[in-house]
Amino acid sequence: MVSGLLLTPILQHIVLAYTALFVSIALGIPLAILALYSRPLQKIVMTLANLMQAVPTLAVVAIVVPLIGIGFWPAIVAIILRALLPIIKNTWIGLSSVDPVLIASAEGIGLSEWEIIRYVRLPNAYPAIFAGVKFAAILANSVAILTAMIGSGGLGSLVFEGLAGVNMMKMLSGALPAIGIALFLDASFSWMERRLLPRSGQSGLE
Amino acid sequence: MTLKRPFDRIETIDIHGVRKRFGETVAVDGISLDIRGGELLILIGGSGSGKTTTLRMINRLIDPDEGTIAINGIDTQTIDGIVLRKNIGYVIQQIGLFPHMTIRENIGLLPTIEGWSREEIDSRVAELLILVHLPPDQFMDRYPKELSGGQQQRVGLARALVMNPPLLLMDEPFGALDPLLRRQLQDEFIGIKEDIGKTIVFVTHDINEAFRLGDRIAIMHEGQIVQLGTPRDLILNPADKMVSDLVGSDRLFGHIASLTVSDMMVPASPIISGEMEVQSAIGVMVQSGSKIAVVRNRASSFSVLLLSTLLQMRDEVKTVLEATDPPFFLSMDASLLSALEEMKAASVSLGLVMKDGEPAGLLLPDDLITRLV
Amino acid sequence: MIDEITAVWITYNLTERTIEHLWIFSIALIAAIVAGVAIGLFIYRRRRYASPVFSSLNAVETFPDIALLVLLIPLAGIGTVPTIIACVLYSILPIARNTYTGLIFVSPDLLEVGRAMGLSERFILLKVRFPLAFPMIAGGIRIAIVFTMGIVTLGGIFGAGGLGAPLQTGINLIRPDIIFVAGIWVGILAVILDGIAGGIEASLKRRFGSW
Ligand SMILES: Nc1ncnc2c1ncn2[C@@H]1O[C@H](COP(=O)(O)OP(=O)(O)OP(=O)(O)O)[C@@H](O)[C@H]1O
Ligand SMILES: [Mg+2]
Repeated sequence: MVSGLLLTPILQHIVLAYTALFVSIALGIPLAILALYSRPLQKIVMTLANLMQAVPTLAVVAIVVPLIGIGFWPAIVAIILRALLPIIKNTWIGLSSVDPVLIASAEGIGLSEWEIIRYVRLPNAYPAIFAGVKFAAILANSVAILTAMIGSGGLGSLVFEGLAGVNMMKMLSGALPAIGIALFLDASFSWMERRLLPRSGQSGLE
Repeated sequence: MTLKRPFDRIETIDIHGVRKRFGETVAVDGISLDIRGGELLILIGGSGSGKTTTLRMINRLIDPDEGTIAINGIDTQTIDGIVLRKNIGYVIQQIGLFPHMTIRENIGLLPTIEGWSREEIDSRVAELLILVHLPPDQFMDRYPKELSGGQQQRVGLARALVMNPPLLLMDEPFGALDPLLRRQLQDEFIGIKEDIGKTIVFVTHDINEAFRLGDRIAIMHEGQIVQLGTPRDLILNPADKMVSDLVGSDRLFGHIASLTVSDMMVPASPIISGEMEVQSAIGVMVQSGSKIAVVRNRASSFSVLLLSTLLQMRDEVKTVLEATDPPFFLSMDASLLSALEEMKAASVSLGLVMKDGEPAGLLLPDDLITRLV
Repeated sequence: MIDEITAVWITYNLTERTIEHLWIFSIALIAAIVAGVAIGLFIYRRRRYASPVFSSLNAVETFPDIALLVLLIPLAGIGTVPTIIACVLYSILPIARNTYTGLIFVSPDLLEVGRAMGLSERFILLKVRFPLAFPMIAGGIRIAIVFTMGIVTLGGIFGAGGLGAPLQTGINLIRPDIIFVAGIWVGILAVILDGIAGGIEASLKRRFGSW
């Protein structure tokens, strides 16, 4: 069956996209928090994030090759280079757009820096962080196809083999599952957004 | 090129049995109101009492559910809304200058649409900027956000006046300004109002503003007009407790009750002879800066002379005596309140205060009320 | 090093590739702006279409770009045309969404005063709402520029030419020199275009205030 043949590329694709996504989240959110406390770091991170966001994905994927080679891990690095940016940017915006009065009053009642982040800034940033992660997930899903060019395997391999052999069915067997995953991601993130955020959106200091 | 004018000047605005509801809320609950041409009518009342809604029905931004509004006897429903609004100036507290247009473009917007030439527009804009005390060279090409709040409000007024509308609707125009600036703009506005001689309906929250600017004041409460009258009527005869609280009758009365005529009279000068030449009498009065003179007749009786009457009749009379009015005599130590009551009953607006057969001063109730509040 | 760059530049016709690239980019962007603004305007006039139109555009937005190019093959083959179509499909959403938002969210006071002055609804739309929406629309176009630049580059893999073509060659041959020269060059171009768009957006914001 087709589904049997497709299982391996789909799994490879998912492992690729999600590994990169989780690493991006694990790197991006702490980086954004650090940027809150170091002006130079903030400048560097935000400038890089803004510049990098403009660079075409193909160029990012290509440049990874001479720097770290081809295969699974270089592909992960390329995906992270894309997915990290929206997470950092949105987290930072969410964290830094807290009403200063709220921060001042939190300091006033004696909360420590960490407690302010934990109980004031982060809850305020959840919706923005969530939107950033959603966007990063969609991006990761997209870049994970392209990385087949540098030997990552997955659904992209089917597309590029199909393209080389002018085999439309093969190309579609790579493209359609990727679209399906994208729509599934979008729908489930929207669902989570509705379920989770109304509560956390309100919370600040009780 | 010329704006279509359904009316050139306002004789009357007849608001009759007008009602407006928004869903469950009754915003205006059957009001009737006759606005006279050339007057400045104040609408005052608490938040949500229907003032803005009333204004917006006059220029047909919204239409009443019931009742009619007629200008010079013409039902406004029969006038095209856009034509009507181009003939009615509108100024609001939030000003609403278009942020993407310069001051010149903001004020000149309607003239541009009406197809005026660039020179005509520029000169009209400059003229209006001067009227509102803004030097044109300095302000013409600025954007609204480069102006202070007070300057923006002046531009808002200039823009409303650009087509020379016979009617001006103003919704708390000075409401957002700090008290000092508000006072200054009110003073300027009093001057502008004399210059332009328009019919104005003016909404405010501020009773002092109402007294300073209004010819008549309509007090609104929960969509109805509780009382309509001159400042003097409202202070002396408040319709109910709400009105007396609003106009501060009690506070004023507590004070007034203890006063005599002599406390509040103004000096009677100049005193001129009844045989004086008209021309020289005008000279004397203009020089002394007084609009009222006391005239001494040969029989040592007295009468009063208004500069305005004298100017009107200058060609018909030889001596000033012929232009005088018989005085309404008051005595120095009469109680102020009873004197005012008497004058109101006799419907006179000027009293001549006598002491030992000689004029000692004048009592001017309208002026007095504005001085008291 | 200069010699290596020049060698790659000449061997792989990077001047022509750049012109080709920017040409495809411009056509795609202009098409996206026209379509995006038109759709934004249309939805502004017919609110009931807002939700269906935006959700379908949103769905397209989530498609992996390569998958979209594959889907277009049966309809438009490969090369420049499907690349431009893909660019437009991705870029319509930010432009249309921002146009719509910009037109809707004009201060009620301005609308009140405009109507009270006797301005027609049409005049208010064209001379008040529209100019005030410019900064928002420019923001949407800026996003569209990044999308379009990315997809035009990707189009190189699908026979559209442009700077994606030498990148593909570089990856296939694992040639660091080609990858660096073409990759960094297309990156610089993208950053410059984004910077210009950002500058225009900022100056519009300054000029048209309220946003
Ligand atoms: N467009 C509208 N839709 C719904 N309700 C409205 C609308 N306009 C006015 N109202 C309601 O009608 C009532 C009268 O409003 P209006 O604006 O005339 O009051 P106002 O006297 O001008 O008050 P304020 O002094 O606060 O400006 C209020 O209860 C208000 O909420
Ligand atoms: Mg109001």
